[in-house]
Amino acid sequence: MKILILVMLLCSSFAFSSGDTTIHTNNWAVLVCTSRFWFNYRHMANTLSLYRTVKRLGIPDERIILMLADDMACNARNEYPAQVFNNENHKLNLYGDNVEVDYRGYEVTVENFLRVLTGRHENAVPRSKRLLSDEGSHILLYMTGHGGDEFLKFQDAEELQSHDLADAVKQMKEKRRFKELMIMVDTCQAATLFNQLQSPGVLAIGSSLKGENSYSHHLDSDIGVSVVDRFTYYTLAFFERLNIYDNASLNSLFRSYDPRQLMSTAYYRTDLYQRHLVEVPVTNFFGSVMETIHTDSAYEAFSSRISDSKINSDMPFNQPSEQDLKEELQNANIPSDKLKTEKEKCPYTQMRTDFNEKLEKFENVDTVVNLSIAVMVVVVIVSSSLLR
Amino acid sequence: MGFVIKPNINSSSFHLSGRSFFIRRRQKKKKKKTRRGEMAEDQKKKSCRFWIWALSSVVFRLILISFPGNLNLSSRPEVSTPLTSIRRLAEGYWLKQASMSPYAGSMYHGSPLLLSVLGPLTVQRIKGQPSHLLCSLVFVIADILSAMLLRGIGKKLQMAYGLNARLLGLLKSSRDKGILPCGDIAALVYLWNPFTIVSCVGLSTSPIENLAVILALFGAVTRRVPLAAFGLVIATHLSLYPATLTIPIVIILGYGLDAPPIKLFLQTRSVENEESSTPTVSKQPKLKQTTRLPFLWKTVAHFLFWVLLWSLCVLVLCAFSLNKYGGLDEMFKRTYGFILSIEDLSPNIGVFWYFFAEVFDFFRNFFLIVFHVNILFMLLPLAIRLKHRPCFLAFIYLAISSILKSYPSVGDSSLYLSLWALFVNELVDMKFSFFLFCGYLGISLLSPVMHNLWIWRGTGNANFYFGNAIGYACFQIVFVVESVSAMLNHDRALKRCINTNHGEVKN
Repeated sequence: MKILILVMLLCSSFAFSSGDTTIHTNNWAVLVCTSRFWFNYRHMANTLSLYRTVKRLGIPDERIILMLADDMACNARNEYPAQVFNNENHKLNLYGDNVEVDYRGYEVTVENFLRVLTGRHENAVPRSKRLLSDEGSHILLYMTGHGGDEFLKFQDAEELQSHDLADAVKQMKEKRRFKELMIMVDTCQAATLFNQLQSPGVLAIGSSLKGENSYSHHLDSDIGVSVVDRFTYYTLAFFERLNIYDNASLNSLFRSYDPRQLMSTAYYRTDLYQRHLVEVPVTNFFGSVMETIHTDSAYEAFSSRISDSKINSDMPFNQPSEQDLKEELQNANIPSDKLKTEKEKCPYTQMRTDFNEKLEKFENVDTVVNLSIAVMVVVVIVSSSLLR
Repeated sequence: MGFVIKPNINSSSFHLSGRSFFIRRRQKKKKKKTRRGEMAEDQKKKSCRFWIWALSSVVFRLILISFPGNLNLSSRPEVSTPLTSIRRLAEGYWLKQASMSPYAGSMYHGSPLLLSVLGPLTVQRIKGQPSHLLCSLVFVIADILSAMLLRGIGKKLQMAYGLNARLLGLLKSSRDKGILPCGDIAALVYLWNPFTIVSCVGLSTSPIENLAVILALFGAVTRRVPLAAFGLVIATHLSLYPATLTIPIVIILGYGLDAPPIKLFLQTRSVENEESSTPTVSKQPKLKQTTRLPFLWKTVAHFLFWVLLWSLCVLVLCAFSLNKYGGLDEMFKRTYGFILSIEDLSPNIGVFWYFFAEVFDFFRNFFLIVFHVNILFMLLPLAIRLKHRPCFLAFIYLAISSILKSYPSVGDSSLYLSLWALFVNELVDMKFSFFLFCGYLGISLLSPVMHNLWIWRGTGNANFYFGNAIGYACFQIVFVVESVSAMLNHDRALKRCINTNHGEVKN
């Protein structure tokens, strides 16, 4: 009976290749700043602010791919060397001690970006530069820079078109490189960049519609350039109020964008995304708060019996992956074989198994053992005083 | 150096030459009644002093327990081993309460019965008192009981010694004035031994194991067969090595207590026979008939029956207690299997951890067999040589297993040192005693220093601590060898004394 149900689940997990049966296991972030030169200071500040937020909310450096031109902090024009600010009050230095840039300078190209997304690298590319996501990953893709109608300018030399992006996302879906993908774009006419997307499980938000520009927030007169864009500024304002344990939903994030303050319409696309935005916490993409599943069989010693009984109770809730199912099948097979062979033996073993089952139902073993030890001690004293 | 006996027909005098003991000879004859009164007063004084010392040691332990954190003694590797640590017991108890096998995670490796008894005590906390207070009290009570039982054993041995001395004609009157009260001495040595105090305060379960061993010996010595069987079964159940005590206990129950070799008694009797009447041919066959002591098979069979009964009880209880967690197989694998396979290589005062940290896997089983057979192959020759002194044989077995066991600690040393004190009358002329005393003292002082240098400061390395452990093993081996040779020298001295005695009488 147990085996039948397990086999059915196995078949169903094979059938549902859409990622319905996979569980969310890790979070990745790909943060791309596509501009260079000093007057694009704000784009780098955008990306670094989001990098800091994402790290603060729990995603480690190993799971972040940061692509920056990285020519602001040590620029000759920077009055504050090795410091990058996103606000004129200079409270926060974004270029602190632990900024790990994976692609810098002239490595930020469309080719590298697409290679990162699809995972098709040369052999020699190190692991820190690869997006090593799997079918349980939630990926945040943030891009900022100069864009236009269905394109995004890369480093003033080339452009990424919307169908290139859609194609890359489709390849990712085929290769099961993500469970859910969130694309956030802060450029002019950002919403056009994800016009061509068709893969399910993708959520996209852009800072402006077709024909609208995205504006910078304010100018820092000390540094001499604008230091942050409006869309990113209000996103950060939302996140600065959060810590790792808050469960604000994506819906509240998207509702927080005020078109009058942004001076553009923040447009988001949810037709490819099955879940309701009210139910999705922001830390699903912007942070890394994992759901822990408590199991009793923490240690290996003699846990097969416990896991055997747990199979029945856990099945409706947990949808384990194939490997777990296989292991449970093996575990379930072994005790059933034992039972079969025992029943073929003589009635003495039958009696013993019955006795064992009776004993198993005994709850307070401890008190019985203590009582027996006390009885033993009394017998010792009595017998040693009587028999000499 | 033996002792010189001056056979004085009028008054008894037992003059022991040697560095340790000197008795003033009473030259003047006093009335017998006042002598008896003096004896009673002496006895009273002695027992008063004994009780004062015993109670003060208990008070001392209680004072030490009241210090917070038990003076960090429970974390010292010399005191708590993977088998005796109270923290591991508490962990095993917690695992059991969380419906997991107490042996899961390879923390606890002891008996499930001990877990049921001591486990709840580790959890209970009284407000304002140091933690594990109840456990400490249990160990103090175990120490007190062990001391009382040692005193009982010692009294029996002392009586037997006196009786044998009189039978051999070495001691004329019924006054045992020259004989040291080995029971009191052994009990006080046990209570005041720093090793015992440290194991008690450091919350290792060695006091309970020692209690079981002493219980077995007490039962055997006072011929309470069920008690001896119970003690032996519990001691073997708690730690595997007291199983070697089966041989001395069977010899005690079969042949009787420690006595000089049979030949000496036969020589005495033959001389007496020669004295009393003219030697005739018909006497000789009588001698041949009685060259062997009768072996009491009935008592030994009784003892084996009780051993089987108690072991059945213990095994049934353990199986019941571990019913859901693997049963007896799991228990044997994790307790005896752990002891025999030396899985845990954390440093202790023994020598195996260092060795097995560097031996190749291919040779590991071979060396395990070598080290365990090292204990086993010494059992039979010693039993053959010392079969007339089974209590001493028990002491030697315990000493050897303390040196060569998988996870030794100072609790084991405390046991055999106090058992050594039971034989002060025979071992009074042991050589190198001062050297050994200094050695033990030095090793026990250096051991924490070397451990600190290695682990905490990092200026030393494992060789420092291991050198200490090797030194300790060497001192223990010299101690065992010297005590055996002192005992054998004592027997030879007795033989010489008797020969000279009879030679004098003849002449």
